[in-house]
Amino acid sequence: MSIELDIRLVPPREKHPTIFKTFDDLRAGEAFTLVNDHDPFPLRHQFEATRRGQFEWTYLQSGPAVWRVLIEKRHV
Amino acid sequence: MTLALSTAAVGGVPEDALGPFDEVCRGRGLDGVELVLDDVGDPGPLCERARAAGLRVVALRSERLPTHGDALRSLAICSARLSAPVSIPERLVDRASLAALAALFEKERGRLLLAHGTALDVVVELASAVSDIGSPSLGLAWDLRPSERMFERVAVLLAAHALLGLVRFHGGGPEQNGQDGLAIGQLVMELSSASKTAPLVLCPSSEAELPRWRSWLASRRSAGCGHAHDAREIRVDVRDVEPKDRLETILSAYRALGRGATLRLTVDHDPSCMFYMLEATEPAGSFAFHSEASVEDGLEVWRAEVQKS
Repeated sequence: MSIELDIRLVPPREKHPTIFKTFDDLRAGEAFTLVNDHDPFPLRHQFEATRRGQFEWTYLQSGPAVWRVLIEKRHV
Repeated sequence: MTLALSTAAVGGVPEDALGPFDEVCRGRGLDGVELVLDDVGDPGPLCERARAAGLRVVALRSERLPTHGDALRSLAICSARLSAPVSIPERLVDRASLAALAALFEKERGRLLLAHGTALDVVVELASAVSDIGSPSLGLAWDLRPSERMFERVAVLLAAHALLGLVRFHGGGPEQNGQDGLAIGQLVMELSSASKTAPLVLCPSSEAELPRWRSWLASRRSAGCGHAHDAREIRVDVRDVEPKDRLETILSAYRALGRGATLRLTVDHDPSCMFYMLEATEPAGSFAFHSEASVEDGLEVWRAEVQKS
């Protein structure tokens, strides 16, 4: 299963809650692709702090205009 | 880096409004103003009144080159008296007269900047001509338009390099939402790493933008581009900044903080991502972070305080 979440279309205040809800709703082994107009690395730090060891973060595309990150929920 | 606002942002300032205009700029956290000179006459009296009004003039700008020797000398004297460089479009300046111009400004202890755009061949030619004369009274001013592309901007920065005495950023302020993603935060960072002394002047990109600038100046809300020297406190409101440029805007403000100083952020969403990023990238115990949400005019507003210890 592959979900694509284009966060560019989401209003600023909803961006991070939407991303975390999408992740939390995944089952282990599932993934979604985050699409953004800038490198979402601050979000990765937030994932590290709040969901440590639960996710895989893989850049599929790194700019300059579009970033795609595959975020996968690990089997714990 | 010094950040200033051009008087062009209000379509020119009547002389009796110079003081109030500077007050508004202070309220925005700006370090000073660029005074745009009239198209005609001797600039001396206006500059004297600006000085008397305590206007923090960072730069002078003339859109013409006085042909009369006395008016030209007066321009150089104004520059010296206000300790502010005067910029003139480079296309008005005959290269053969450059050495004489430089000598005049040097004699009066003023500084002349030749204003250019982002056409690399022009900048290279100009930088070479100015370097050949080798006068400390001569430099370059860059008129940077928001639609210009990244690689061209970098090339121009490299070509102008140490000669760069001013960057006029057409746009910024209330215009920054519509600028092909080039918001002020990122640009300030690039420029501050390239040239520590050249002030950045915010200027409307067209006459049509003047109403937006006027309402921006009249509103109390910051657009997150103001800062002051040696601030114990920096206030940044990123609600008007494009989402993708917010991080750089915030980080450049955080880097500018001295020890013990506080960054006060206003955001329209939960700023905890900022906390996690600092926690991951800054030394342990180097900052304190506090944030709280409130509702203002029916909208959720978050205020965060980051203190650098």
